[in-house]
Amino acid sequence: MSEMIEIIVDDKTYRAEEGSLLIDLLIREEIKVPYFCYHESLGADGNCRMCMVEIAGQKRPQIACDTLVKSGMEVNSKSTKIEKVHTDILELELINHPVDCPTCDQAGECSLQDLYMDYGLHDAKVTIVDKVKHDKKVDLGSNVMLDQERCVLCARCTRFTDKITHTHELGIIGRGDEAKVSTMPGRKLDNPYAMNVVDLCPVGALTSKDFRFHQRVWFLQSAESICHGCAKGCNIYIDHNKMKYQDDVIYRFRPRRNDAVNGFYICDEGRLSYKELETNRLESMLYDGVVVDEHEAIAQYKSLLTQYQGRVSVVIDANLYSEEIEAIVAYAERIGAKVFAPLECYNDPSFADDMLKSAQRAANYGAIVKMGLETNMPSDAGLIINFNHPTHFNAEAEIHFSTHKQESNALLLPMAAFSENSGSLINEVGLEQWCEKAVEKNSPAPTVLSWLEKVEG
Amino acid sequence: MREVAIVSRKFAVENSHTLSVAQAHGAYKTLEKLHTLAPLEIIEIIKESGLRGKGGGGAPAGAKWALMPQESERPSFVVINCDESEPGTFKDRQIITKDPHLLIEGILITCYAVKAKHAYVYIRGEYAQYQDVLQGAVDEAYVAGILGEVDVTLHRGAGAYICGEKSALLESLEGKRGHPRLKPKQPEPEWYFGNPTLVNNVETIASVPFIMEHGAAAYRAYGTEKSPGTLLFAMSGHVEKPGVYEAEFGVSMMDYINHYGGGMKNGKKLKAVIPGGASTGVMTAAEADNVQLDYESLRSMGLSLGTGGMIVMDEDTCMVSVLKNLLEFYHEESCGQCTPCREGTGWVDKLVGKILDKRGSSEDIDKLLEVAETMNGKTICVFAPAVSAVIVSFLSRFRDEFEAAL
Repeated sequence: MSEMIEIIVDDKTYRAEEGSLLIDLLIREEIKVPYFCYHESLGADGNCRMCMVEIAGQKRPQIACDTLVKSGMEVNSKSTKIEKVHTDILELELINHPVDCPTCDQAGECSLQDLYMDYGLHDAKVTIVDKVKHDKKVDLGSNVMLDQERCVLCARCTRFTDKITHTHELGIIGRGDEAKVSTMPGRKLDNPYAMNVVDLCPVGALTSKDFRFHQRVWFLQSAESICHGCAKGCNIYIDHNKMKYQDDVIYRFRPRRNDAVNGFYICDEGRLSYKELETNRLESMLYDGVVVDEHEAIAQYKSLLTQYQGRVSVVIDANLYSEEIEAIVAYAERIGAKVFAPLECYNDPSFADDMLKSAQRAANYGAIVKMGLETNMPSDAGLIINFNHPTHFNAEAEIHFSTHKQESNALLLPMAAFSENSGSLINEVGLEQWCEKAVEKNSPAPTVLSWLEKVEG
Repeated sequence: MREVAIVSRKFAVENSHTLSVAQAHGAYKTLEKLHTLAPLEIIEIIKESGLRGKGGGGAPAGAKWALMPQESERPSFVVINCDESEPGTFKDRQIITKDPHLLIEGILITCYAVKAKHAYVYIRGEYAQYQDVLQGAVDEAYVAGILGEVDVTLHRGAGAYICGEKSALLESLEGKRGHPRLKPKQPEPEWYFGNPTLVNNVETIASVPFIMEHGAAAYRAYGTEKSPGTLLFAMSGHVEKPGVYEAEFGVSMMDYINHYGGGMKNGKKLKAVIPGGASTGVMTAAEADNVQLDYESLRSMGLSLGTGGMIVMDEDTCMVSVLKNLLEFYHEESCGQCTPCREGTGWVDKLVGKILDKRGSSEDIDKLLEVAETMNGKTICVFAPAVSAVIVSFLSRFRDEFEAAL
């Protein structure tokens, strides 16, 4: 680690590592600096020229993303001169931009819009009517749509495929104002992390085929959660909205930065796993395939418990929250049942890679290991009480708390999914993380804890 | 005017591109002397000679050579910039077609001085037929055993002007898109696949054998104190005898044009001169009357000497259409990496197009200057600042013509 030194930005003193990038300090200290191309995980490319600052002793303005911090450096990020530079370059950025915000899915989370509110707000000097025309609807593959006219050529997407996934599908072709992003000839954007380019794109050039036109982003609410696709524990935002007269619905997962776990990214499979929370959900209580009310269900539950007294096994899904697992274990002790948390079925080496995807496809894998629960399959089962475990067990009778519909004659009891409840998870390396409750359904399924209260009441 | 032929000494010799003719006229003579000197001694001679880069920038060559490591775990490379694409410039192709062995000899000396075993010549895509001549000379040199210990590889570009910028050239040579690189924070060599690399223009390297043969003082006997030696100056446009004629730095521009160019075509009056390739700005006839052809004189006028390829224009020339012609070129050739250049070159081209079509207003002229200001000093390479300077030079000298066109 280099020496910590002091520099002055807008008359205030800050400490930074000597030789680190000035833009990192500005971002960290929340000093407003406009930029498109810089990204902390992709490094400096220096092409957008927006992040200009004045540095004492330098004749010309310098880009902060290519300026190394030096002891005693004096930086001005707000002078009238530098604001004019920002305005002028932004204006150039806009001359060939279609300004089709009303039909653009990025509207509301677009750097170009945001920066225009900060530095633009002027009548256009451009009287050119013949803007450069490009393709507005290019299907790049992997759910990513490209609008070449909206692109600011920051090259974040091409750098992502070069530096992060090393798959090199994307490049820039053409020169000058004819330059555009494209896939390499005969290729499609095709890698397990492809949709991250949609988040990386600062404007509406790259949009998600899965999300676009479904919801305006300013209607969305975001909850901080953890992806349940595997035991990596990637941090996500759950973006959801309850429209008037409709149910609270999840529209997308987005990666949430956590340098200790997933950095800036998530895999596409995890990103799209929100769909499972919205489809094929178990909504009614069933016994032997017939809908029953709560009163009948609980009576049946108690009757089965009495009938199989002493021969009851409880099975726990490794995706439940730690608080839920602890409550189930305590409950099992009270009713004299054995506890199993079989892990074998979550193991999927074909899913794993050396980036973010883990072979253990259970979000709370670490908790099962930490609690030292029995991970073998239940044996000698009279009655199995299954808390959402994905395996089908052979037993004389079964009570199945489930988030999703099942082909089963068991007593099926609907339960809340992770997005409808809060709790903590321990990932495969033992890191404990918290998930916020995101969604409030119109008719919410009970959580594990409220089910336990009901059946013991 | 003192006649001098340092780089062009074999230009008039028939078949001088063949090894036997070249050798009969003294080619490769300096190689015998080469190994009696240490690499650092050669760099010292080049420094003393005051040789300056002849690709347009005019940076001291010796200082650049001295940046190359003498001890390095990684191999060093020499790259010859023959991506001659500046409008008005056509001197390097004279060297590679009329005296390619002079270039190869210069390459061998340079490689010895900077301890490189491999040199690349990056040739402009459109120069296919000239490349064939140079390749023939390289092949002959291999057969004669002159090359072998040092390798020379020719690489043809795909026709992008920006690849004449040395870092874009290296990106292109590495097989990537020709985009200029961010500049280093301190003086250092260029890097080719992460290896220390020296990039020099064809004519710069072709000047090296003379300095080796006759010494630094003999080179300094020509030119001025700060711009020593000679340049393959060239003329195109409205002169009687356009072409490439070597002259020493510091000669008067009008003497050069009259002496070598045979004066103005059809006895017309001179109106303007672009002194050293499209990107060097424009001067009026009055200014041309009083200017010497060296880096410092041109700089003091806010212009630059560039490659010394003069574009001479007579009284009938419409300066608005000249600027339009140049801006179309820049609009086409901007690499598109930096926003001010990518978007600015298009905008100024369209603005001048509008004025040329008589659809312009006085606001457009102000706007043109404003955009030029935004393009200046805010990009990775000097492409946009050069465009900016060109616009300013036209409008500051010929504004009345632009206003008359409104």
